[in-house]
Amino acid sequence: MFKTKFAGIALAATLVTGMLAGCSGGPSNESAGETSPNATTPSNTAPAGKTTIQFWHSLGGKNGEYINAMIERFNKSQDKIEVVGTFQGSYDETVTKLQQAIAAKTGPDVTMLERAYVQMFADSDVLEDLTPYLKTSGMSENDFTAGLMGHSKFDNKLVSLPFNRSTPILHVNKTMLDEKGLSIPKTWDELKQVANALVIKENGEYKRYGYAMPYDTWYPIAMISQAKGKFFNDAGTSLGFDEAIGTKVFGFLKDLQSTGALYYPPQQDSGNIVNQMFLSGKIGMMFQSTGVIGSLKSNAKFEYVTAFLPMDQVYATPTGGANVSILADSKNKQAAWEFVHWAMTDPNGAQQFILDSGYLPFTKKMVESQPMKDLWAKEPNRKTAYDQLEYAIDTNKHVAWPQVMQEFFSAIQAIMYDNKPIEPTLATFKKETERLLSGK
Amino acid sequence: MALDLQIVKRTVGFLLKAVLLAIFVFPFLWMISTSLQTFEETMAFPPTWIPSWPQWINFVEAMNAGPFLVYARNSVIITFTIIVLQLLVMIPAAYAFAKYRFVGSKLMFGAVLLAFMIPGQVTFIPVYLMLAEWGWIKTLLPQIVPFMSNAFGIFLLRQYFMQIPQELIESARLDNASEFKIIRKLMIPMSMPALATIALFSFVSHWNDYFWPLVMTDSVSVRPLTMGIAMLRETEGISNWHIIMAGNVVLVVPILIVYLFASKQIVKAFVYSGIK
Repeated sequence: MFKTKFAGIALAATLVTGMLAGCSGGPSNESAGETSPNATTPSNTAPAGKTTIQFWHSLGGKNGEYINAMIERFNKSQDKIEVVGTFQGSYDETVTKLQQAIAAKTGPDVTMLERAYVQMFADSDVLEDLTPYLKTSGMSENDFTAGLMGHSKFDNKLVSLPFNRSTPILHVNKTMLDEKGLSIPKTWDELKQVANALVIKENGEYKRYGYAMPYDTWYPIAMISQAKGKFFNDAGTSLGFDEAIGTKVFGFLKDLQSTGALYYPPQQDSGNIVNQMFLSGKIGMMFQSTGVIGSLKSNAKFEYVTAFLPMDQVYATPTGGANVSILADSKNKQAAWEFVHWAMTDPNGAQQFILDSGYLPFTKKMVESQPMKDLWAKEPNRKTAYDQLEYAIDTNKHVAWPQVMQEFFSAIQAIMYDNKPIEPTLATFKKETERLLSGK
Repeated sequence: MALDLQIVKRTVGFLLKAVLLAIFVFPFLWMISTSLQTFEETMAFPPTWIPSWPQWINFVEAMNAGPFLVYARNSVIITFTIIVLQLLVMIPAAYAFAKYRFVGSKLMFGAVLLAFMIPGQVTFIPVYLMLAEWGWIKTLLPQIVPFMSNAFGIFLLRQYFMQIPQELIESARLDNASEFKIIRKLMIPMSMPALATIALFSFVSHWNDYFWPLVMTDSVSVRPLTMGIAMLRETEGISNWHIIMAGNVVLVVPILIVYLFASKQIVKAFVYSGIK
């Protein structure tokens, strides 16, 4: 009996030592062998004597290739700094990664940050104030396109600079409109007429809808500001649009949805769905980001043009996309700034990235540069997006925006999918927003 | 009449199986179909079911879209190291729990079950912070060490070991076999089906794991295939689904191969435990 007992403990002990041995032996050997082949992967380890700058971004696919090419150009342009770019997933995923990494002090030196999240990070004092860097490099805020600076300055600190920025815009299948002798809508009323005229209904089933938009807060916000409302009030205590505007915006959408003039897509993958419908002629127009102009242009089998989002009282558009920031925790802020400065000013920097990707030019120099003018002459669709920036206005700025956004999504779902009455839904949303804004 | 009932039963059974199979196979086939389509075909509405001409180039494009050799090597290293370590820890542990009564054995087994029941989502933040503090984030260790012991495996293997008659072990002892020899020559050969099952489950779950590496990695050099494929997505703009699906096909092929070899053992494992 004693023997078996003893053997049992011995076995349990081997279990534990096995774990420890595994800890120090096996896998760490694997990872020691790990470091050398790393050099073969693009831009991963810096040669001795170079400062390594970690740059996190949210660009995958084609845009990811363009940003990697930009980083490569920087690394080749000088021999002191090696920038390592890492794709961290979507904007939201990057934010989550940043939150955990900042807490664990394993964050990057430079990061891309979706513009609406900048304020949340600024509020936690984890972003470096770029004002002194700008000054020593002989730059000023006026070098940038004004419409894109809405998410850069908080508490008098310049914590982020624009980078891959976009806006929603009206994408039009001009061939389809021409067939019906319709012109591109400039106002909500015209949008309603044109969209209704495009609808094809056979045997109670819609064969073609008028227009569509992805499931996103962006488009209702655009419409709220077109109706001269603000998303948040100036004091940041409540919503900035009254019942009349809210009912007008969602009433308009519901009205068009009921006749097939508006197709409101299911939540999941809504962006891809509306793009597909647009390309295959199931809708004639859509509200969608400028980010898709490139892919639409190369895949559309019809005359494809872009136009300003139609106006109600005024033209207005929110902006989107991401900025770049330097983290306050970075140990190599000077080198990080050199990279950011290069990207902002060198023709091989962000300017080339923007020419490649189709995001909006964000400095006045870029706008005036010859390559940009040439591109616009060739592709007026892209110029429309830039011109619309004159009417850019971002009114959903608040530290609590990410939470309010979730509530706004719930309200959109209730109204657009479940046909809940607009007024009480918005009233509930308003109450919830006030609670979130008050920080309770 | 009885025969008719038999036929009805079989037909219904067959139909149910066919429906179930269709539900499971449909997304899989769609993935394969999409991986061979052109971009235009993936964009078409209504969807294209069969590509007009298989686009094998998609696979080349997917593999060229990132350092896929690095991702694949990481996936292989991580998955196989985990399986080897788990077997090393699991077999002696399950043997001890199955065949010995020692002080605290019940408590320890309870602890194992408890570990089995706590989902990783509850512990990942403290684990991440701890590993970051140890400076492990730029290595493969965070993807290996937390999975060294497999609570589910210990549990399953213990049940299996308990079915092996005590007399066999006693007679081996009479022949002066050491405990390790008993494990090696008796317990392991007799429980191959269970071991194969556990290893396969472990293989599939770690090979396919997305959540843990998503949290634990922030550089290309330590990321596994699942992360590499997720990175083929466009964050804005139109996703190239044909390329992403080509990547997914590459991801699942090893699982199919392993399953092909292990399927017999798995069926055995469940049949055996069912009889006893």
